[in-house]
Amino acid sequence: MEEKIMIERFTRSQRVQHFLLLVSFIILIVTGLALKFHDSWFGKLVITLEGGVIARGIFHRFAAVLLIFVAFYHFFYIIFTRYGHDEFLLVLPKFKDFKAAFQSVKFTLGLSAEHAEIDKYAPPDKFQYWAVVAGSFLMIITGLVLWYQTQAMLVLPKWAIDITRVVHSYQGVIIAVVILLWHLYIVHLNPKRFPMSRIWIDGKVSLEELKVEHPLEYERKYQGVADENK
Amino acid sequence: MKINRIIILFCFFLICLLVQGRTQELPSNQECKHCHSNPNLKKVLPDGRVISEYVDFDIFYKSIHKKQACVYCHIDATNFPCKNLQKVNCQRCHYKGNLAGAPDLIKYKEYGESVHGRATALGDVKAPMCQDCHGSHYIFDKADTLSRTNKEHIPQTCGTCHLNIYDIYRISVHGEALRSKHILAAPSCADCHGEHNIKEHTDPKSKVFLTQVSVTCAKCHANMELIKKYDIPVEPVETYKESFHGVAIKFGAKTVANCTSCHESHAIFKSDDPRSSIYIDNIPRTCGKCHPGASENFAKGKIHINPAKKEAGIIYYVSQFFKYLTLSVMLALIIYIILDLRKKLIVKRKGEE
Repeated sequence: MEEKIMIERFTRSQRVQHFLLLVSFIILIVTGLALKFHDSWFGKLVITLEGGVIARGIFHRFAAVLLIFVAFYHFFYIIFTRYGHDEFLLVLPKFKDFKAAFQSVKFTLGLSAEHAEIDKYAPPDKFQYWAVVAGSFLMIITGLVLWYQTQAMLVLPKWAIDITRVVHSYQGVIIAVVILLWHLYIVHLNPKRFPMSRIWIDGKVSLEELKVEHPLEYERKYQGVADENK
Repeated sequence: MKINRIIILFCFFLICLLVQGRTQELPSNQECKHCHSNPNLKKVLPDGRVISEYVDFDIFYKSIHKKQACVYCHIDATNFPCKNLQKVNCQRCHYKGNLAGAPDLIKYKEYGESVHGRATALGDVKAPMCQDCHGSHYIFDKADTLSRTNKEHIPQTCGTCHLNIYDIYRISVHGEALRSKHILAAPSCADCHGEHNIKEHTDPKSKVFLTQVSVTCAKCHANMELIKKYDIPVEPVETYKESFHGVAIKFGAKTVANCTSCHESHAIFKSDDPRSSIYIDNIPRTCGKCHPGASENFAKGKIHINPAKKEAGIIYYVSQFFKYLTLSVMLALIIYIILDLRKKLIVKRKGEE
């Protein structure tokens, strides 16, 4: 069997960011949902395991601090590193993404046999990235308001705090749903990758896969190399 | 022989006399009445207190013990003048299996474990015994309005000792309802604190222990029948259980607010009453007890809100928006997964062909 050529798709810094994000998200979602569904067996189990409702809050805030740290880390990574900045430009939504997304939908529905022309980040990747950015931003802001409730209420009336709580609570559920049904489906349950894509550990993807899934990036970077090898 | 007979007869008379003498020693109620129907009859206790020894026999003869003689309870009142009588012990008759037919459902065990019973056992002379609450000479069935344990009279009965609390309770929304409006569904002391089994509020078994308060209040404030009849707001209990405070209490946190933290335990007033701890101007101070620096913004918006009910206003609409957003995201993603798997299956089959 031919040795697969592996390409580094994500750098170590990106993998570290992803890992920290993953840890904070899991803790936040588990402890958050435990509070939202405190009457269910899941909530009771989690809160008991954590050692009570006060300790639950401490876990949740600990993970929140981690998330805030990752957010700043990422922000500086985009602004101050060359590679990070280039990557950011690649993940910015562009008009052709809508065309590509439309093409993907047609392909999935069987209306067209052609794959969409996709660069390093496909429309769903971009959407998920921006969903994480927007979601985290909203959760951090609403979370801080709830954390520093008394101070926030020097400015905000009680009803605004109630809205904040509703938003924080539902937004958390939506993020959990998106991660479970979309992100985890793509990286774990997708038959091609089951049981798990190793990309989050080593950051590597095979050249074959890259060619199929990110044809534009393949053309841009590796077409010449591949031709020469032939 | 004759002498023997005489001796036997003499002994018989002697015994008869003795027996007669003994029965004559026990004074009848009539004899007690001679002195004790005098309203001015008083006694000075060793500690200097003066107490009345007057007994209103008219009321006594209507009481539940009307057929009993004074000496059945005051067993040491055998001589005249009867001095230094012991406190009456109700257990002389009221015990399980007694032959006098006295009710034996007496809750000595509950009382013995209660804060009052333990204080009595430790020798606290101020702690109440049976007669201090039930009355001594004027005991009636608790359904009788003359009874000290009649619901409407319980606050006064407890107030004999707990005067400060009675003073506050008397004017509270509960006290007014029970005493002025004669609403028997309104709570007296016993409804929240228990009767014979009263515990300190720091005892986890107490009905007013901080984790038990919401359960005790919920007996009425979540009782649909009472709610409809007296137009009590229904939501408080349910919304409290869903709030941070309620959830924390449920999981055993001891530093969070229960009902009485905000509404007070005895000085409970309606929210539109300026004396109330939850009157709009008092809310910052009330919240500030636990949230130092609470601003007047704490009062801007309802406290007990259920985001699922229209009364919650804007919070209801935000909540509904997110509810349907969540559901549609879920639905969209499930459809996506199904379509994606279907497509992958088709591609795989084509590849195999």
